[in-house]
Amino acid sequence: MTVLAARPAAAARPRLRRRELGLLVLVGLTLFAGSLGLGATTTGRLVPAGAGHLAVYLAALLAVHAALVLGGRRADEILLPAVGLLGGIGLLLALRLPQDLVTQRYGGLELGLADLQLAWLVLALGVAGFLGLVVRSDRWLRLYKYTWALGGIALLLLTFALGEDTNGSRLTLSIGPFSGQPSELLKVILVVFFAAYLAENRPLLADARIRVLGPISVPPPRYLLPILAMLGLALSIVVVQRDLGAALLFYATFLVLLYAATGRLSDVGLGLVLVVVGGIVLYFLYPHVRTRIDIWLDPWADPLGAGYQTIQALHAFARGGIFGTGLGAGLPAIGGQLPIPAVHTDFPLAALGEELGLVGVLGVLGLYLVVVERGLRIGAAAADDFRALLSVGLAAVVAVQAFIIAGGVLKLVPLTGITLPFISYGGSSLLANALVVGLLLALSDRGDPEPPPPPRPPGRVARLLHAGGAR
Amino acid sequence: MIDPFYVLLWILRLAFLAGIYVVLWAIARALLRDIRGAARDPVGSLGRLVVVAAAGEDPPAGADFPLDAVTTIGRDLGCGIVLDDPFASTEHAALTYRGRAWYVEDLGSTNGTFVNGAPVEGPTPLGFGDELQVGEVRLRLERPRR
Amino acid sequence: MSAAGGMNRGTTGAFGGRAAQPDRRERPLGGRIARIGLVLALAFGGLALGAGYWGVLRADELASDPTDAGVVAASRGAVRGRILDRDGRVLASSKRDANGEPYRVYADPSISGVVGYASRQYGSAGLEREYAAELLGVRPDDPVSRLFAKLRPQAGSRSDLRTSLSLTLQRLAVRLLGDDRGAVVMLDPRTGDVLVLASTPTFDASAIADPATSAAAFAAVQADPARPLVNRATLGRYVPGSVFKLVTATAALGSNAITPNTTFAEQPAAEKSGLLVSGFRVRDGHHAFTGSTALDLLGATEVSCNIYFALAGLRTGGAELTAWADRLGFDAQIPFDLPTAASQLTNGGGNLPGGFGDDVELANAAYGQGEVLVTPLQMALVGASIANGGLLMKPRLAAAFVDASGNVRRLEPEPWRLVLPSVSNEALRQAMIRAVEGEHGRLFTTGAQVPGVVVAGKSGTAQLGGTGEPHSWFVGFAPAENPEVVIAVLVERGGRGGERAAPLAGDVLRAYFGKP
Repeated sequence: MTVLAARPAAAARPRLRRRELGLLVLVGLTLFAGSLGLGATTTGRLVPAGAGHLAVYLAALLAVHAALVLGGRRADEILLPAVGLLGGIGLLLALRLPQDLVTQRYGGLELGLADLQLAWLVLALGVAGFLGLVVRSDRWLRLYKYTWALGGIALLLLTFALGEDTNGSRLTLSIGPFSGQPSELLKVILVVFFAAYLAENRPLLADARIRVLGPISVPPPRYLLPILAMLGLALSIVVVQRDLGAALLFYATFLVLLYAATGRLSDVGLGLVLVVVGGIVLYFLYPHVRTRIDIWLDPWADPLGAGYQTIQALHAFARGGIFGTGLGAGLPAIGGQLPIPAVHTDFPLAALGEELGLVGVLGVLGLYLVVVERGLRIGAAAADDFRALLSVGLAAVVAVQAFIIAGGVLKLVPLTGITLPFISYGGSSLLANALVVGLLLALSDRGDPEPPPPPRPPGRVARLLHAGGAR
Repeated sequence: MIDPFYVLLWILRLAFLAGIYVVLWAIARALLRDIRGAARDPVGSLGRLVVVAAAGEDPPAGADFPLDAVTTIGRDLGCGIVLDDPFASTEHAALTYRGRAWYVEDLGSTNGTFVNGAPVEGPTPLGFGDELQVGEVRLRLERPRR
Repeated sequence: MSAAGGMNRGTTGAFGGRAAQPDRRERPLGGRIARIGLVLALAFGGLALGAGYWGVLRADELASDPTDAGVVAASRGAVRGRILDRDGRVLASSKRDANGEPYRVYADPSISGVVGYASRQYGSAGLEREYAAELLGVRPDDPVSRLFAKLRPQAGSRSDLRTSLSLTLQRLAVRLLGDDRGAVVMLDPRTGDVLVLASTPTFDASAIADPATSAAAFAAVQADPARPLVNRATLGRYVPGSVFKLVTATAALGSNAITPNTTFAEQPAAEKSGLLVSGFRVRDGHHAFTGSTALDLLGATEVSCNIYFALAGLRTGGAELTAWADRLGFDAQIPFDLPTAASQLTNGGGNLPGGFGDDVELANAAYGQGEVLVTPLQMALVGASIANGGLLMKPRLAAAFVDASGNVRRLEPEPWRLVLPSVSNEALRQAMIRAVEGEHGRLFTTGAQVPGVVVAGKSGTAQLGGTGEPHSWFVGFAPAENPEVVIAVLVERGGRGGERAAPLAGDVLRAYFGKP
């Protein structure tokens, strides 16, 4: 991502992205095999299930690839295929589940689960591709960080006030036919804000510290305040709205970025202590928190009530075993109902565990790790603090979110209601994660083979390059 | 006893699972290749500056500085090539590689930069074998060591 | 994960933009990123381990659970394997109705409490429920057949369940109980095999399983105030009366509070006036013929002397009594193929060790009154421990699974607890022999004797207070020198131990040994 405004805009030379194409072909073949398996399982004949959906999806992936090729961007070539495979697995899952889990009408057209998931996926790919292609300067992110953050919080407050009430919490905002969860968008906004703020104030936070206790020191409160205020605002809103998963996500991502910026383990330690204390306080304060934690420790204490979801998910993993039951062959229906509630939003990993087995789950986890590794590497190779922190933060937000929901489904951490990135059904989730991918692609652009000059100070070296380019 | 259709079914299911791992493996291979490539790609494959002469022993004659696409020369520790010469400025000169050619520019130094004896004003082309003078240090641009 | 400067050439070499600042950003940030990556990778490794834990380690347990969705789904409309008794007689099998849909049929109502039922509308109970996964073939036993099952359209790998139950003896026990409510438990102390687990009143499981009659039958069974669905042998908790003295003796001997020869000087006198314990009188008086002889353990057991055991219990103390009782299985659910209720020594909450309220309660508990409540299965296990030289085996009903190809998967008997060391155990055995075969003992256990076989046992008469008959109990084993079977009989409101329980036990034992 070149930053220098003075540099004349060079015509974009299409650049082949062979590795990405090769990986995309492999992804396509894999998804086709999955589709064939699903079709054979459900119909008993060798036909691919949802061939149309799959074709549209693969076409969208190739379109993004083509756009990146034509745009001549030297962005990361592994991110798109990895995310593409994850999204494809999510699409196969949506094809496999009963289509009437989610329906919407448009005119005379009735759209089911897979149709909607496909639509969101295509839209998400478009957003990611657009961002990857078009974003060349980080100024608009960096300079307007407060605007973004406050805008996100305002959206959250709006949801709090006007949103739809589901299970006692207001998480969804509907405008006309569109409904979404602003907390998903807020996670990206907060990462941008944290990265920008920490990058700007890193020396102050890392060096000008106040000694508190022995080797433990804290950054001067004056500089910590704005960022803590923003974090606190976001957290309090989601806690009051009982979106504990989002709260955990924001907080954990903040800790990761804080560590990346200051390098002080004591900061992380302090943060962990605070979260444990906070958790204990919430445990005694809110009965629903208490329920969640009690269920986490022993779901069989209330097997037909609060613990039902968790127990069913664990049973699904048990039925899956090592290789799974095969796509479409698991999830035995009892009286026409799936055994796991909310399987398309909160529990897709359990469905994958049952139908793809331990092997499949490990593969999916591996794909997430690939996405995270790419983000971290982009951060390590970034030219300045903001871009580095932004990449690390985006990678972390995906990793932490996947960990929180997977850990909850596997009873490793208390269950919270957040989505599995790229796989869960949910427009807001897919779009927010598309923003992440798009930004990472933009950040990973190595530009022309000549390296970018440092952004500060513009001066002699900049003049030099400018002159050299003009030759 | 064993239904061939079900055998096929299981082959398809395993193929799907295998496909995921093939993608992961291909990615891993690409990652490893990148790491090895970065390791194997030594700094200095574009050119080197060899010390011809310096006042005193530092830097010693014959010393070899690998060059990046953009390398700054000066007394400041942040420069790519640090010369502890009293007549060199903090940031004295910069060497850049553009369009397969080397250019040198003076960064506003006190005592000026010289190519083969001639003072450097704006970006000046520098060829292999040309001599560069920064302060009291004379360096020669050499081809990269293969 | 390479540190900064790995991939992008632009950052190698220094950009000295920040003049005086040392080049701190490059390496440490890369290092920090590497560390973050490591932590995240470890976190995901934890996830992988978690997935492996539930998908492999706990998989069999969860997937075979009767509540598992896969099992429930399979049990509707699928043919189950048969359930057989120890001699191969069919206890449960499947028939097809007019539509070709399978439904279950059972041998007779005497086994309903054990085998249970499997009905399309009303779910399942008993062994039908516990072993649904194996009977349906939801999880074939060995990995090879599991693999092949996936290659076949239907899981045709259901298994027959061979139990340790004896249909003949079970029928007899239920018949002998007749209209009384009660339970009979007979098991093999050497292996833990349960031969008889009878509970009356019983019910007709076939009527529930048959779709034509299920609704009416189920409604009737649920409405019955006698609660036939509750298996009294495993879930019924009753005042034990004198059969509990076996537990007291175990604890007293085990904790060395007494030896088999111990006598209590005050015991003969207390027979007439009662034993004063903290202002309360423990009364006895049903063995006046022992006169003024101080009884030892064997004698006290033979005549079931309350005073002796009250004193022994007081000397043992609440803590030791509880500890040894717990060793025998009290205060916890007994591991078994069917649900069990925990037996107790006291309602608890008292200040004495073991939770007893005061000495009076301890003394009363020691001879089987007070707040003691036991299940018939628990008392059978008490007898089994003594019969098997102190080695208590885990009780079991399921003995083997036989799949369609004839492969047999045997379930091995499991040792459960080591209770009394054999020397003390031997004394108890002798005491129990005296209680049945002894000159005085016979008076209390009339009918329990078997010609040609030495029977050891203990009767019990559980006083319930108020009007109405006490519960009639008997616990025993035979042949006494090398026990093959242990039997526990409870007849609710059956009167004295020797009135109903002992003769019933004798009848069953005689049937077992093939005697008239």
